Amino acid sequence: MLELQAITKHWRAPGGAVRVLLKDLNLQLPQGQTASLLGPSGSGKSTLLKIIAGLEAPDAGRVLFDGQDITALPPEQRKFALMFQDFALFPHLDVQDNVAFGLVEQGQRRALARAQAVAMLQRFGLGAHTRAKVWQLSGGEQQRVALARALITAPRLLLLDEPFSALDADLRHSLRAEFLARITASGMAVVWVTHDEVEARSVGQQGFRLVGGGLVREW
Amino acid sequence: MLVAPVLRLMGEALSGDAGSALGTAADGLGGSAWLQPWLDPYLRWRLLWSALQAALTCGVVLLLGVPVAWVLARYEFVGRRWVLRALMLPFVVPTLVAAIGVLALWGPQGLWAQAGGAPLQDTPFLLLYGNVFFNLCVLVRSAIDALEQVSAARLAAARTLGATPWRAFWRIEWPAILPWLMSALCLVFLFCFAGFGMALVLGGQEYATVEVEIYTLVAYELQLGAASVLALWTLSITGACALFYSILERGLATPLRSDRIARRVPRGTAQWLAVAGALAVLLLFCLAPIAAIVLRAAVAGGQSWAVLWEPETLQALVNTLRFSGAALLLATALGLCHALATHHWAALRALAFLPLVVSPVLVAFGLLLLYPGWTASVPLLIAAYALLAYPFVAKSVASGLDGLPANLQAAARSLGASPWRAFWRVTWPLLLPALRRGMAFAAATAVGEFAVTLFLSRPEWATLSTLIYQHLSRPGAANLDAALVLACALMALALALFLLIEWPGTDPADPEEHHA
Repeated sequence: MLELQAITKHWRAPGGAVRVLLKDLNLQLPQGQTASLLGPSGSGKSTLLKIIAGLEAPDAGRVLFDGQDITALPPEQRKFALMFQDFALFPHLDVQDNVAFGLVEQGQRRALARAQAVAMLQRFGLGAHTRAKVWQLSGGEQQRVALARALITAPRLLLLDEPFSALDADLRHSLRAEFLARITASGMAVVWVTHDEVEARSVGQQGFRLVGGGLVREW
Repeated sequence: MLVAPVLRLMGEALSGDAGSALGTAADGLGGSAWLQPWLDPYLRWRLLWSALQAALTCGVVLLLGVPVAWVLARYEFVGRRWVLRALMLPFVVPTLVAAIGVLALWGPQGLWAQAGGAPLQDTPFLLLYGNVFFNLCVLVRSAIDALEQVSAARLAAARTLGATPWRAFWRIEWPAILPWLMSALCLVFLFCFAGFGMALVLGGQEYATVEVEIYTLVAYELQLGAASVLALWTLSITGACALFYSILERGLATPLRSDRIARRVPRGTAQWLAVAGALAVLLLFCLAPIAAIVLRAAVAGGQSWAVLWEPETLQALVNTLRFSGAALLLATALGLCHALATHHWAALRALAFLPLVVSPVLVAFGLLLLYPGWTASVPLLIAAYALLAYPFVAKSVASGLDGLPANLQAAARSLGASPWRAFWRVTWPLLLPALRRGMAFAAATAVGEFAVTLFLSRPEWATLSTLIYQHLSRPGAANLDAALVLACALMALALALFLLIEWPGTDPADPEEHHA
């Protein structure tokens, strides 16, 4: 279970002004559940994801997972996966090496990691593109590669930062069901950041809105 | 290596020696010796001419460069990518080689004179043409980058609101590219004002620049004080220019626009004429001097080519490779460290540009004053080479780092990579193309280095550059032919090194490269 306790984070503007971005924020998310996180741009949604992933440190408060305090744990040791808005695929690696990246980092032999990546890509309907460069793929294909890369290491928690915002409306709609099915099959906890109310309600068992630096439960 | 010599230069200039060194004209002026260059008509002309020729060059490259850039940015035609690559050529050609190219074309024994053209020797034309050769491409490349950032949506909006193509250019494109043009012109002014090799060979008695005057005062007249005062003024002007440039540059760091204007195939006579015109301008100003060297060297005959096998030449080649190789290693290490260390500290980053502001002549002169006992030592020479070459590595790697999306590193970390592993597996491979590019420019700079070698080296350490200059200084057609052949060889060496390091089409992360 993911637990956030009294997370506070300030944001320093280039001019020197300081704004409170997150204030005494609390959250409990059991395994297998998806929490939708709503809020306007600049409300601190992405910062919160980065704090959970360990990419940013909170100014105050604690992050716990399964009862263990992981606030000071570096991101590579948390075994979470974060999927970015623009997918952040590595342009110098081909599709299979992008997907195999996390496995290699866990110490798996490259050939084995690649074989696993290829198998994963086949399940994702991308078997024909394993050796393609990522920029040769369409937006929808890139999104699937990013999801495959996030899921292949079987993370304990999946963090999604507006995973559909880079796609057009039609594609977004058709991919959402497939995406949800894959996530549900993996059985992990998911924090899904979006500013689309419809999307939030269709994916999350719990829904929160980030208001004034804190989370307000919507459903 | 840089700050101390400059401080020493300033100290020399502000001390009392300067006044006496300037000779009788300074007598009775007391503390105002540092104003002397402005009171002496001869030195005043040197300073004013240096600024004037730089300003004239700016005007010419602006008038020629913007239309050429617009054609290259907006039209798609066969060979366009090769034209863009060829725009790099003047950056790679050593100064002295370019100067010889201008002479081979327009000089007293050049192709123009042979064709019966009016003599151009002792006119400012040669120097201005040489300046345009080097700087037209600076402006064109910068303008192309700027034009590619213009928003297609805004241009489309202007057209739907009734603007003609010309009005749309004037009201939408021109304001958008103006900051880039200003920044490029600032660089052009800096390069021309502080230029040495070109002015030394092409300026003659009348149109030499202040850098040449400083060299003459130090090397031939031993008037160190007077030279320091001139150097101080040069430094103030280039410093002001560089400051202005850095202010302009800061405003340019906007991300690439996603709605780029698509290039179109030219249609109709007028559009094809525009393409032909742009290519003709580039041919005349950027390729002709290089072609002239090759042509003149080719017809020079076997006797002239024998210069390549003379022991003097082979020694110069060995020296060139030895000094440049050592300098390249040092410059790469320095440049990498500088770029990585200053990635998050913008104020320090500007320091990498100091060697560009302080011209090679001033660096060499300052070192001469500061370490008189070391002037003929290989380590000092190599350090000076590296100092002049490393900004290319630092600048290239720094912009490479800026271009990396921050979330790639974050993605690697969230996938289980430690900071070092994330650097090694993601940042480093993506930085390599930028590093290679910077090293290529650094290598080309080191191989063609001229000013510092002229100041600091011993006769037995002659490099290909200084050997060319020696041949050029001797009278007779045979020496000119030998200089042409050597220039050909030096150009080939610089080009080969450049291509060896930056082989076209090997950038793994450049979608343009693979799509086209």
